[in-house]
Amino acid sequence: MNSTEQLLSINNLHTGFRIKDTYFDAVDGVSISLKRNEILAIVGESGCGKSTLATSIIGLHDHNKTRVEGEIIYKGINLAKLDEEKFNKVRGEEIGMIFQDPLSALNPLMRIGHQIEEGLAFHTKMTKEQRDKRVLELLTQVGISNPARIAKQFPHQLSGGMRQRVIIAIAISCKPNIIIADEPTTALDVTIQAQILDLLKDLQAETGAGIVLITHDLGVVAEVADRVAVMYAGQIIEEATVEGLFTNPLHPYTRSLFNSIPQMNSENEKLQVIQGIVPSLINLPRTGCRFSTRIPWISEGMHEENPTMHEVSPGHLVRCTCWQHFHFESEEGGITR
Amino acid sequence: MVKEATVNGKKVETNSPPTGMQVIFREFSKDKLAMFSLISLVVVIIGVFIWAWFIDQETLMRVSLRDKYAAPGEKFFLGADQGGKDILGQLVIGAKNSIRIAIAITLITGVFGIIVGLVCGYFGGWIDNMFMRIIDFFITIPSLMIIIVFVTIVPKYTVNTFILIMSLFLWTSTARLVRSKALSESRRDYVNASKTMGTPGILIIFKEIMPNLSSILIVELTLNFAGNVGIETGLSYLGFGLPPQTPSLGTLISYANNPLVLQDKWWVWLPASIFILLMMLGINYVGQALRRSADAKQRLG
Repeated sequence: MNSTEQLLSINNLHTGFRIKDTYFDAVDGVSISLKRNEILAIVGESGCGKSTLATSIIGLHDHNKTRVEGEIIYKGINLAKLDEEKFNKVRGEEIGMIFQDPLSALNPLMRIGHQIEEGLAFHTKMTKEQRDKRVLELLTQVGISNPARIAKQFPHQLSGGMRQRVIIAIAISCKPNIIIADEPTTALDVTIQAQILDLLKDLQAETGAGIVLITHDLGVVAEVADRVAVMYAGQIIEEATVEGLFTNPLHPYTRSLFNSIPQMNSENEKLQVIQGIVPSLINLPRTGCRFSTRIPWISEGMHEENPTMHEVSPGHLVRCTCWQHFHFESEEGGITR
Repeated sequence: MVKEATVNGKKVETNSPPTGMQVIFREFSKDKLAMFSLISLVVVIIGVFIWAWFIDQETLMRVSLRDKYAAPGEKFFLGADQGGKDILGQLVIGAKNSIRIAIAITLITGVFGIIVGLVCGYFGGWIDNMFMRIIDFFITIPSLMIIIVFVTIVPKYTVNTFILIMSLFLWTSTARLVRSKALSESRRDYVNASKTMGTPGILIIFKEIMPNLSSILIVELTLNFAGNVGIETGLSYLGFGLPPQTPSLGTLISYANNPLVLQDKWWVWLPASIFILLMMLGINYVGQALRRSADAKQRLG
């Protein structure tokens, strides 16, 4: 298998939630692809549709209240149209997921070993002894030093970092080709965070899986990702390699994000913030540049009417043309306020 | 709890919070009344079943007018009723029937209610809607009246038909309780995590959600059991319970409707009344101790 093999391609995905008989798209026309051996980071602030994108890929939505349209192509199958029964064969075996909160993602009444074993029992024909052996292997693989003892313990007996390791062990138990990590380090402290990120990178190097890393932490992105997609209000507004994005952020939103990272040595002691909030699903204007309401000092004419992705340099895509005219408010005529 | 564990071949003492049965055991050892109730309940239930084994129901229910209202004494330890039938024997058989019916109803309604509740809570949607409307219907109709009508129109009416009729109306509250708990439990992350591993829904329901509700289920079943003991007795008291030739606690108590019996022949109705009172109290104490152990905020120890 070559390293540029296309693992997952998402085309024009719309995931809508039903609010009083109308569907509002939380993910609004996302197209992106994931290659083997690649860590794709999806960045954005709360409520921009990152997690919805993740749950759409793995089919975790309540079918009564959500509508998933578009294509999520994996091995020639459209996951968005798959029924539960067939999806169950894909989940776990082909796609694994790592959750944000390591405490709530483990069943409090099941021993660790048993929880890891569960997926193996469904997707492989291993005997009980083989599974037990594999559980110990997996625990060792995720860096737990005394696997035999941990396997017999309950989740509440482990620390947060240990639990997250167990969750990673569960996700990789069937050697999936795609791992979706939904803010895997948000609930952990910084030292553990670095260890878990290293672990993810190592595992990826070993298995060659593609990882979709969902985060709001640009530091995490810089550390592990290969490619980044920045999401805002359900759309991808910039897509680039990590170097490309960090050296040359283009979209006003991306630049604002970088600008709002607190800096010790900056002269201005005030934290830089982005004005306003992400518009709620119901109030979201569906036409025009969605970020325009948060940069009111950029005049209307600078935005495209129906913003599309433009390839600025190879592999670096940005939505709308407003980036060419963007400047921070403070740059205009000295510091306002 | 101090436990010994072996790490790298050496024995090490590890501290771990008490789990499951340990919590229940500690709760009972702190609450002497519940402990006493539990022991006496077990002794009484086992005792009644064994004793009833040795009593021949036909001989017991044979009318002997010579012994009408015989006072407690050598021939009848607890006296006899208006048909000269031994009160003690009727008490034992009646208690056995009440307990047997209560256990059967509790199990049938429990199993059915738990399954319906879990399925509704987990899947939601039209399944949930359908069952909830059925339950609404059962709750709004006056079930006691309907049960009495059923009892009168069902031919060849036996203990088993009685159990089925009662179960038909009593599964609803369990189903509602379990549904509400399953609803919140199935939105937890660990259920989602299990889904992402490709676990089929039915296994998630019974292997993940049900064990996490087990404490509530145990309490619900125990308290239901206490209620169900009373149901058979109440209906027999009204005259709509078991077939007339079957001895029953309710029938014994209903003799007290006769003012003469109520005033002068206390041995006919008093033992049955006291037995029911003590038994329901006992089950309730046990149930409450179980409920406390299921809820960490209320625990005594």
